[in-house]
Amino acid sequence: MSDSELTMGAAHGVLMEESPYGMQSKKLAMWLFIASDAVTFTAALVAYGFLRIGSPDWTKPFDFWPSIANGLVMTFVLLSSSLTMLVAVRAAKGGEKSKAVQWLGFTMLLGIIFAALHLREWFRMFDEGWRVYKNPTGGSVEFGAAFFSVTGLHLLHVISGVVAIAVITWGYNRGRLDSNHVETTSLYWHFVDIVWMFVFPLMYLMNAR
Amino acid sequence: MASDQGPGMTTYVSIWVGFLAIVGIEVAITYQHPETKHLLAILLVLAFIEAAIGLLYFMHMKYERKILFWTFVPITVFVLFMMDHVWPDAFRLFYLRLGQ
Repeated sequence: MSDSELTMGAAHGVLMEESPYGMQSKKLAMWLFIASDAVTFTAALVAYGFLRIGSPDWTKPFDFWPSIANGLVMTFVLLSSSLTMLVAVRAAKGGEKSKAVQWLGFTMLLGIIFAALHLREWFRMFDEGWRVYKNPTGGSVEFGAAFFSVTGLHLLHVISGVVAIAVITWGYNRGRLDSNHVETTSLYWHFVDIVWMFVFPLMYLMNAR
Repeated sequence: MASDQGPGMTTYVSIWVGFLAIVGIEVAITYQHPETKHLLAILLVLAFIEAAIGLLYFMHMKYERKILFWTFVPITVFVLFMMDHVWPDAFRLFYLRLGQ
């Protein structure tokens, strides 16, 4: 088989063959990143578990109101953002550009609302005297370290995701990017949602009063 | 491509409702105030169910080639398993601090 027969629509002189994964490289790269990020979050949660088990004076500071209730609203918002992202991807795959852009916008909005609710919770805790290194109840100071680290890492992912969706939306709307870019970005966003499915029970519900 | 297949919006919405229900169950169980180890086990099982459904349907893994699953999932599970070797040390730290 000649070189030209092996090449599939690529630039001159470039040999290509079909990916065994049946997907573009950027999508496979996103899966690779998600696998590594999953392990990172697991390490953070295992560290939290280690500190919690090792602390005889662990604090459980979250009342249903406002903390758990706020967490429930945040969970609803993030789950809904995954749904809006799914609508956006389906629209993009179906060639409905304006609908896709609209639903990407809804996804970003819900991501921003999630981040705002999260920061509001953080500032409320700061007002009560919580810090990474301080526990106002007199219990283990490692609670603050664990809580703010894990939730902060997740919040960073949410904010980064909102920025990424904004960039992809802009490029897709201008015709510079296609539906595959939208789909690849959606993988990251769903991953961030799935991580919250662990963070909320382990960091909030396990520390509910 | 495999990723062009997939469930319809009805399935997605049903799964979304199911996720909300699971979160509701998690909160309800939490406020039954079970023992910490039992609560942890239940919450982890429910979280893994959510993660598996999210991975298969929202992230479309069910509709991709099987090689994607076999490339990522076993090795990730193995790494998660290997991380679980720290717990005896955590309990040792607990008893060490209790003795101080």
